[in-house]
Amino acid sequence: MKWVFRIVGGLVAVLILGAVTLLIMGHRANANHIHSVAELPGTPAEIWPWINDADKIGKWISWVVEVRNPSTYSVGAKRVVVMKDENNGGQTMEIAGTFSEYQPPSSMTVQLSSAGAFDGTQAYRLTDLGNRRTRLEIDFDFHFTSALARLMEPLITPQAEKKMVSDLDRLKSLVGQKAAL
Amino acid sequence: MKPPVFASWLLVALAGERLAEVIAGDLEEEFALRDPRGASGWYLSQVLRSSIPLLSIRTPQTALVALLAVAMPVLLLDRLWSFIYSQIPLKDGLNRAPEFLIVNLILVCLCAALSRSKPWATFGAAALALWVSAGHAPLLYSILVLTLAPASVWRSR
Repeated sequence: MKWVFRIVGGLVAVLILGAVTLLIMGHRANANHIHSVAELPGTPAEIWPWINDADKIGKWISWVVEVRNPSTYSVGAKRVVVMKDENNGGQTMEIAGTFSEYQPPSSMTVQLSSAGAFDGTQAYRLTDLGNRRTRLEIDFDFHFTSALARLMEPLITPQAEKKMVSDLDRLKSLVGQKAAL
Repeated sequence: MKPPVFASWLLVALAGERLAEVIAGDLEEEFALRDPRGASGWYLSQVLRSSIPLLSIRTPQTALVALLAVAMPVLLLDRLWSFIYSQIPLKDGLNRAPEFLIVNLILVCLCAALSRSKPWATFGAAALALWVSAGHAPLLYSILVLTLAPASVWRSR
């Protein structure tokens, strides 16, 4: 019986230590924030459709199933991105976006919301570097709805960042292929 | 005259050291009284005839310990990784980050060592956990889990 108490006590101690570590890490400066940059071949006008058009978004952002674009683009217009969540039994999940800034071909900001998961703001900035090169910057601030996800944020954000980097690599290669044609 | 080495080894493998010692004591008494020409065959046949009852005595407990101590923690950890990946705002696939796989590997070895289960049961439980896990198991990771988990048991025994 003494050993059972020791084992249970040890497990509880490990869990408390893990939770405290995550709580402390959750207060770091870049918590709940992802910043990604990519230099792409082409002018901002050529890159813009890749972040704007429904048929192009799904080509570089993985796990996108469908994008429902608004009939007219303007501040306040709504866009819905449907994503497949392989880690949740392949269920589809809708992310509703409302444009709070829309200035083609240089910037757009979308207020994102996914019921029961997160709320956030995703800002795209395109900067003309000259010589047919464009810098794309994506800033993503988010806030998890569930307390457990908020606790796990220090583990989630680095994985989200890796995913965004791999998506941007895919975009770079697609834009490069298009530019080469 | 000594019983056949293979039959003695098989008896230990099937019954475990403690139980094998008791059974071997009884078998050896009768073995010594038998005609030397047929004694080895008789001894081996007795071990083989006992194999299924012996396995049925030992397997449930050993397998249960291995399942609880090795498969369950790995599957719980797999659920945690699935939860973390499902919370990524723009979703992601089933490939796991190397750091998560390293945590899995350390946990499976630690749990296997603490369980003091049988290496074959640990191997089976680890293989089951790899098969049932939602996350993809790269080949190198699978090989490491299936070799290091039973090896951890050997070292702890």
